[in-house]
Amino acid sequence: MGGIDRRSIDRRSFLRRAGAAGALGGAAVLGGKELLVAQESSNGHDAQHSTTGAPTRGHGHGAVGRVDHARNGFTPQELLTEFDTGVVSTDASGRTVREFEIVAVDKEIEVAPGVFFPAWTYNGRVPGPSMRVTEGDRVRVRFTNGSAHPHTMHFHGIHPSEMDGIPGAGEAAPGETFTYDFIAEPFGTHLYHCHSLPLIQHIHRGLYGAFIVDPKKGRPEANEMVMIMNAFDTNFDGGNEVYAINTIAFGYLNEPIQIERNQLQRVHLINVTEFDPINSLHLHANFFNLYRTGTKLVPDEFTDIISMGQAERHMLEFSYKFPGNFIFHAHFTEFVDLGWVSSFEVS
Amino acid sequence: MVTATTTANRLPTWVAAGIPLAAIALLVIVFLALNPIGSLREVPPVEAMAVERTVLNEDEIVLSLRNDGPDPVTIAQVLVNEAYNDFAITDSTVGRLESATVRIPYPWEEGLPIGIALITSTGGLVEHEIEVASLTPEPDANTFVVYGLLGVYIGVIPVAIGLLFFPMLKRASARWIGFFLALTVGLLAFLLIDTVAEGVELAGETAASLDGLALFGVGVLGVVLGLTVLGSSLDKRKSDAGGATSTGAGVRGLALAYLIAAGIGLHNLGEGLAVGAALAAGEVALGTGLVLGFALHNTTEGLAIVSPLGGNAKRPSLWHFVGLGAVAGAPTIAGALVGGFAFSPAWAAVAFGVAAGAIGQVIWQISKGMSKNTGLASGLGAVGFMVGLGIMYVTGLFTA
Repeated sequence: MGGIDRRSIDRRSFLRRAGAAGALGGAAVLGGKELLVAQESSNGHDAQHSTTGAPTRGHGHGAVGRVDHARNGFTPQELLTEFDTGVVSTDASGRTVREFEIVAVDKEIEVAPGVFFPAWTYNGRVPGPSMRVTEGDRVRVRFTNGSAHPHTMHFHGIHPSEMDGIPGAGEAAPGETFTYDFIAEPFGTHLYHCHSLPLIQHIHRGLYGAFIVDPKKGRPEANEMVMIMNAFDTNFDGGNEVYAINTIAFGYLNEPIQIERNQLQRVHLINVTEFDPINSLHLHANFFNLYRTGTKLVPDEFTDIISMGQAERHMLEFSYKFPGNFIFHAHFTEFVDLGWVSSFEVS
Repeated sequence: MVTATTTANRLPTWVAAGIPLAAIALLVIVFLALNPIGSLREVPPVEAMAVERTVLNEDEIVLSLRNDGPDPVTIAQVLVNEAYNDFAITDSTVGRLESATVRIPYPWEEGLPIGIALITSTGGLVEHEIEVASLTPEPDANTFVVYGLLGVYIGVIPVAIGLLFFPMLKRASARWIGFFLALTVGLLAFLLIDTVAEGVELAGETAASLDGLALFGVGVLGVVLGLTVLGSSLDKRKSDAGGATSTGAGVRGLALAYLIAAGIGLHNLGEGLAVGAALAAGEVALGTGLVLGFALHNTTEGLAIVSPLGGNAKRPSLWHFVGLGAVAGAPTIAGALVGGFAFSPAWAAVAFGVAAGAIGQVIWQISKGMSKNTGLASGLGAVGFMVGLGIMYVTGLFTA
């Protein structure tokens, strides 16, 4: 971007150093009664306002306007609840085979109202499709690179080295296709992401998605959701301007997630935030069972907050006792102010 | 060949002047219509936006923007202290050199800094720092009086006090007059450096496409030319009247005093602008110390003005002293008012250029009029020059 760090009335540095302590005396010398009165009244006013701090939903806060989901080609709702289970068949040995088609596409997406980000995407969306298989399935992913840059799909899981999806093992040059072929294990909440270099660019630009491997025995019936904690450095200065779950700043605050009271909710929570070492989720007015990496059938912890490094992911289960609107957000308040705050509408 | 020449000679002058103008117009039309270098412009938009003015009202921040880049810029969101905030903008897409006003409802707190970032549609940031928040004065009668009084305190009164050095100078010998003239040159040299530094800094804050440094340069050269013309006409009038002081060696006496007063007045206009703007922007608290510092600093300017009058046989009438004081001091009032209520870095750059040119011109006039044995090159002259610089430096410390 053009160098646009500009001060306008940044006058004489020597003047600036004059302490505010002298303000009273100065005004007196000038006979400047009005200046003094004005300053006092504004002080009084601020004191009133500093106590009315509803940080997330207070008037005046938050982004202005709404993101055009149609133009993006995906809605927050489908990012949350739609799963791609592949085209299912059975091989000679009786093993379930799930075949997926993934295409990498460079695409500009609206990440906050009116703010466009030159993303690299899987299938035109960020995050990419939430791929869902069962432990022991044979997974065949036909990956076509329609982007201007080389890309891979690196799955977190257990697989042979030639299927690892890194430069030299499954990297597709622009226009090329590579088919990843492996047996899904272990069960859990996993992720896939591009592993081409430089890694920070390839992940931050949007090449990631959920890879859910269900246990063979299955899990109790629940309303399942995928929440990927992500962020966007829109001006490419090494710090994020937008934080969210599933890309859109304030997306689920403006359009609350509709759920039912006493219904089991299951959230696959994945952190891919770049530039910040840690991200977190705090659920308001509720507690959740935490299954670390989703790799167990019994919970590890019962809590209302979880902090995660990049690529850490967990499975959360909870239900709401009371109807109403409940927000949930990163408990790094900086992220809240920059878009990572969402809400459930419990009916 | 002969025919062509005759035809050219027959053309009226206005037609001849019109030919290149018409050619330029044609070129513009062709370029706009055909865009022959369009393929070279296939680059991402370059976004540049200058914040020209900041106004803090109760619970509201108002920014005046100017797009000083080649491409339109669309303001999509506003961050205040790293949080998305509500805002309203006159027109979110701002064309080249167009301006827009952003109104941000925000319960800012007195005395604290505010960081504002406007996010453009491409995700770029226009960052603007308010170093110390304070209520922007309303341009009503009372604040007008306050800013006017500020000009009087830091400009008019100190200069008038400085003029009181006249009786001392009147008794001084030719050698000491030379000393005080050299001292004046030192004072002015310091002001010149100060003014150039200020002007160049301001030029940097001007919207890039307005080219602040060129504006500063236009100010400098314009006034040097103007004052040179004025100086030589004064010189001529004096010699026409058979004035004893005119020897062709430059302006002297009262005329020189007025020239110095004019140069200092222009400097004080800039100083008033800077103080008024800094005060309005909440970047400076108007302490007693600051006002006294400026008063002390500017008193020396009065001394500079009267130094050419020393040793003259005749004392100028009292009205001339009033006039000298007004010429040098009153512009501070105008500067403080304009700086406080209608500050624009571009105009301020021109003003500082004018001041720098004026001071440079005055230095040249004084030096020209100094005789060889009392001039800057003489021992006492060199000491005077250095003392002048030193006085300005030391009194300047009180304005810090």
